Amino acid sequence: MRIEENPQEAVFIRFSVLQRLLHIIVMVGFTGLALTGFSLKFSAQWWASGFVWLIGGAGHLAYLHRFFAVITYACVMAHILWLIYYKLVLKRSLTGPQSLFPRVKDVKDLLGHLRYFFGRGRLPSFNRFTYWEKFDYLAIFLGMNTMGLTGLILWAPEFFSSLMPGYFINLAQVLHLYEAILAVALKFVVHLISAHLRPEVFPIEKSIFTGRTNREKIMREHPGEWEDIVTTSESAAPGSGSQTS
Amino acid sequence: MTKRILFILIIMSVALIVPEARADDPVMMPPVLDGKQRDCLDCHRYPNVNTNEGAYASQALCMECHGQKACEKTVNGQPVSLRVDLESFEKTRHRYTACIQCHTDVARCPHDSESGARCTGCHSVHGEEEIHDPHLRVDCQACHRTSRFVSLDKESGQIRLSHVDDQNIPISLADHTLPDVADPEFCKRCHRTENKVGAAAAVLPSKSFLCILCHSAPLAIGHPIFWIAFVIFLFGVILTLNLWFKGSVQGEETSLHRKVSLASESVWQVIFSRQVFTLIKVIILDIFLQRRILQESVKRWSIHSLIYLSILTRLMVGLLTYFAYRIGPDSSLTLALLNKNNGFTALFYDLTGLLIVLGILWAMIQRFILKPVHVARESQDNLAIAMIGVLILLGFLLEAVRIVMTQIPQSMAGFSFIGYPLARLIGVLGLDWKVVYPWLWYAHAGVGALLIAYLPFGKMRHVFNTPLTLMMNYRMK
Repeated sequence: MRIEENPQEAVFIRFSVLQRLLHIIVMVGFTGLALTGFSLKFSAQWWASGFVWLIGGAGHLAYLHRFFAVITYACVMAHILWLIYYKLVLKRSLTGPQSLFPRVKDVKDLLGHLRYFFGRGRLPSFNRFTYWEKFDYLAIFLGMNTMGLTGLILWAPEFFSSLMPGYFINLAQVLHLYEAILAVALKFVVHLISAHLRPEVFPIEKSIFTGRTNREKIMREHPGEWEDIVTTSESAAPGSGSQTS
Repeated sequence: MTKRILFILIIMSVALIVPEARADDPVMMPPVLDGKQRDCLDCHRYPNVNTNEGAYASQALCMECHGQKACEKTVNGQPVSLRVDLESFEKTRHRYTACIQCHTDVARCPHDSESGARCTGCHSVHGEEEIHDPHLRVDCQACHRTSRFVSLDKESGQIRLSHVDDQNIPISLADHTLPDVADPEFCKRCHRTENKVGAAAAVLPSKSFLCILCHSAPLAIGHPIFWIAFVIFLFGVILTLNLWFKGSVQGEETSLHRKVSLASESVWQVIFSRQVFTLIKVIILDIFLQRRILQESVKRWSIHSLIYLSILTRLMVGLLTYFAYRIGPDSSLTLALLNKNNGFTALFYDLTGLLIVLGILWAMIQRFILKPVHVARESQDNLAIAMIGVLILLGFLLEAVRIVMTQIPQSMAGFSFIGYPLARLIGVLGLDWKVVYPWLWYAHAGVGALLIAYLPFGKMRHVFNTPLTLMMNYRMK
């Protein structure tokens, strides 16, 4: 979302320190949630009881599950605050072509990408975030909120059953489980492969950890963004440096 | 000879007759149950108490006697009812629990209990938040029972549910309903002026998470004064940060956003690079072990370390206690760390407290008596030293009053090598310690809260500034 340095230099900042930090915390929190949550849900399985034995009891596992839930959801909150700050204080666009907001171009990109896979066209000119990156982001952003809400209902069932009918607890239980399976499948299969195990970056996409990317990488993976960088830097007066933050 | 054989025969026949007579007892064991001849296995079986069916079978067996009005025992010539009211029991949360789940050693002959009902088979002990260390000596039943008569066993220091009332008349404890312990009025069963079990005269709040600096503490706010202290503390931290970011960061003069992002970027680059090892070295040698002060003067290092390292180790042990409690609340390690009278814990906290006092005394001698030229005598320094000194002295006094008040025997309290002698000394005064204790507790907590609130403002700011400066300057060496 922001370009730190002069476009003439080779190194660009793709992810801010906050974004890198949130990614690491969510990575740890989400893995912890999956491990503890599935061990609680499938407690009859040998691997689950083995894990429970290792951790020191189902009670502690439940405590750890809530601990990971709190740190993960704290990241969601921090991210929402960041979005508000980004919009109101920095006065930047949350829905522009270089943002994570879904646009019509994403559908065109998807179709173009499919054509490209079958040798019927050129690789679409992806913007700063490709359609699958947006899908990854929105899936976890919305998923964490539904998981957070259903999880909160399961955390304090007495309180919530005084507000809503009792079967909402059962609904929350069902949704919490299936959403968890969906989220784990998406993150550990789709996200891991599409982001980190692509041949170009195998075995790991470093830019989410170092925050850095370079001209060549942007031109290859996000050509639409590169055009944007070039046009904005040409329109800005030479020598004044970029006004972005 | 024939007489002797006759005598043996008579004894044997009596022995044969007596159990018959007991089996015919019409009140306790009717041979017919629900119109059906009783089978041996109706009673002599081992129901699976982990199922509702088994729990009910177990309850039914016990209730056959304990459900009857006539079920009683005689203590000192007084009849004491042993009847359990099933109707009220079924309203409690234990209704799906078999009797023998808690009364673990009664299904046997002779039919009496040595251990009493055991709660810890299913429940964990409470931590610092709900109740604090002195309650480790209180039986669960002393609170979680409707009978309001409790007594202190002076031998073991244990507080138990009493089997007699105020007038020493035996009472029945067969009521299985559970009182509402969340009601603050409830604690006044013991926490009133005229209690005999050595409880404080007022219901005190739990410690705050801010107390973790020196004590094991729960993740709770405790008392509103800690809220105030915490808010002032945060305000001070924000002011300090604001001051730091007034300067320029890597050439950036105006935009706070740019300053923060440039600063965080360089921190990130250091943490995720090989330089982090240098940084860890700086943290261990310069921040934990205070190498720089040692290079300046051994005396200064000694004074500073007596105070600082003692507080640091107390913080470490406090954190260890917290996590040990979270992971295994019933483990012997947790119970030892939570228990202020435990040998290690008492010794450790008294020793570190003593070291801090020595450090403070030494610093005061330097400042007010020896007055070497290089010692800066700022009033700010004196204020910080005085605050910590008063806090520790109040702490020791509080410990002594606790030992006098709770009336625990020397074998338990003796490990507090400062607190116990002090308790003997102040014990001579003969004050009503139950009333003194809450006042002292609030005094200690108040000074503690004041110190926390003061941290980011005066001299104590150096606990943040100095480590940060050392870390930022590590490349200059």
